Amino acid sequence: MNRQWFISGALLAGGSVFAERVIDIRGKGQGKIGISLGSYRTGFDAASKTFLAVLKADLNRSGHFSVTSSGGALNVTGACQAGSQMKADVHVYQVATRKKLLGKSYDAAASSARGLAHKVADEIVYAVTGKKGMASGKIAVVGNRTGRKELYITDMDGKNMRQITKDRSIVVGPRWTPDGKSLTYTSYKRGYPNVYMTGKGKPISSHGGLNASGAVSPDGKTLAVILSVSGNPELWLKSLRTGKLTKRLSSTQRGNEASPCWSPDGNHLVFVSDSSGRPQIYIISKNGGRASRISSSGTESVAPDWGTNGYITYCSRVGGKYRIMVANPVAKTVRQLDADWADYEDPKWAPDGRHIVCSRTSNYRSSIYLLDTLKDSPVALISGSGDWYSPACSP
Amino acid sequence: MYKMVLKLVVFSMVAGSLALVGGCKKSKPGADLYGSGDNLYGDPLMGDTPMNDDMMGVPADGDRSMFEPLFFAYDSSQVNPEEAGKCEDVAKHLKKNSGGGVIIEGHGDERGSREYNLALGERRALAVRDYLISLGVEPAAIQTKSLGEEMPENMGHDEGAWRLNRRAVFAIY
Repeated sequence: MNRQWFISGALLAGGSVFAERVIDIRGKGQGKIGISLGSYRTGFDAASKTFLAVLKADLNRSGHFSVTSSGGALNVTGACQAGSQMKADVHVYQVATRKKLLGKSYDAAASSARGLAHKVADEIVYAVTGKKGMASGKIAVVGNRTGRKELYITDMDGKNMRQITKDRSIVVGPRWTPDGKSLTYTSYKRGYPNVYMTGKGKPISSHGGLNASGAVSPDGKTLAVILSVSGNPELWLKSLRTGKLTKRLSSTQRGNEASPCWSPDGNHLVFVSDSSGRPQIYIISKNGGRASRISSSGTESVAPDWGTNGYITYCSRVGGKYRIMVANPVAKTVRQLDADWADYEDPKWAPDGRHIVCSRTSNYRSSIYLLDTLKDSPVALISGSGDWYSPACSP
Repeated sequence: MYKMVLKLVVFSMVAGSLALVGGCKKSKPGADLYGSGDNLYGDPLMGDTPMNDDMMGVPADGDRSMFEPLFFAYDSSQVNPEEAGKCEDVAKHLKKNSGGGVIIEGHGDERGSREYNLALGERRALAVRDYLISLGVEPAAIQTKSLGEEMPENMGHDEGAWRLNRRAVFAIY
């Protein structure tokens, strides 16, 4: 039932994004594709062993495959070897037809074994299913292990963590720019909450009062941002070229706005407003006009993320617990993802448009989890060494 | 010693001009920090360039010990009548000490999203600001700063802690 819902919606959004290829496994309700890497050869060096281990883990995590050492509908052959450089040959065959779905040679520095494995995993996913993978994506996340709240980046599997800010301050709500090259975030490094972009020293928004939730439009020209410069927190658009405020999209003297996110085509924004008394999710045209509410269940709904698949995921408080919702803004349907007793918040679409990365809080500790909107179990990606929250997935 | 300083100066000038050149070539693919094909294989450095803005002369901090914080109901930015008296003491002080001012820091409890709580904290600070203005305080002497749920007063996770965390703090400068 759930899957039915998801797939009918995927038609509405997915068609333009990915070309259909070769084998369609999803959508017919079949299980995972067995993929054997038993005959794939590696050298005795650490890098090529890492490469194979990461590749297997990525393929399993993709949701499409079940990695086996023999049998399976697909067979991966080839070899990987590394000195200071590594070289990997990868051939993927459909066993039944002996058809070659992928045959490629890759070169990389041995220190990049993980990155190369992520790339190969995504190319296998695409070659077999025609769908975009997520393994090459990055997660930006806020962590407090230093005692301050700094920005970190990891690979999509939660590994390869790097600390991005060393401001000894507070980072809130990181978001990727649409080109995947930078992050915007709110920081108090100069005392007041301003919006910054990585690589730029000066804030990109520093009006009097609150500057928060800066989100760059898909064309890279406009910043949607929450400002209280008018005397109340409102949703504004600001030109990134001129730095001028170009439009105020809300005017709710009795309400807060928060967390804007652009639609994939850049014509609409989804955001939070509590103008009805409690925070709920609304959509508005970038040209202004009336906002329409899309959240209905739950006492409060926050933190929307509009995926390139067309769906909006957000967080609702249901029965005293925070739950992840997936809404189809065209059909106006909403579904709640299954969850255990913990709180799940801040959902963000993974680059594959199928998985969701979010924070999970239990016993007052937060970690980062990967949820599957189809059927796989949740996977812990980042946990331990303090709290981890407010994830953002690269496009 | 002098030589070393000179070297440093020259080095930082060169580094500075390099940074400028880098800044101008923003559109060149691969010159950026993220996203180019290299992104798959290596880790770009996302070092922060030094800050040189100065927040337009607005004070960033003040003395929080002079006045009691004001407390709020859940998800509310209304100044309760029983809390409003605290504003009167602050207003009296500010009217007496022209040239000084107050930063009202708005806070929330840990429930709800961090970004929503930032907006809520700002609304709490603005509600207190409006109240001070109604008591005759010069608007220019009142800054607001929302800290959302980021700086709780009490680290607990029950209503007793949350009640203390939903607050507006007066930082006098």
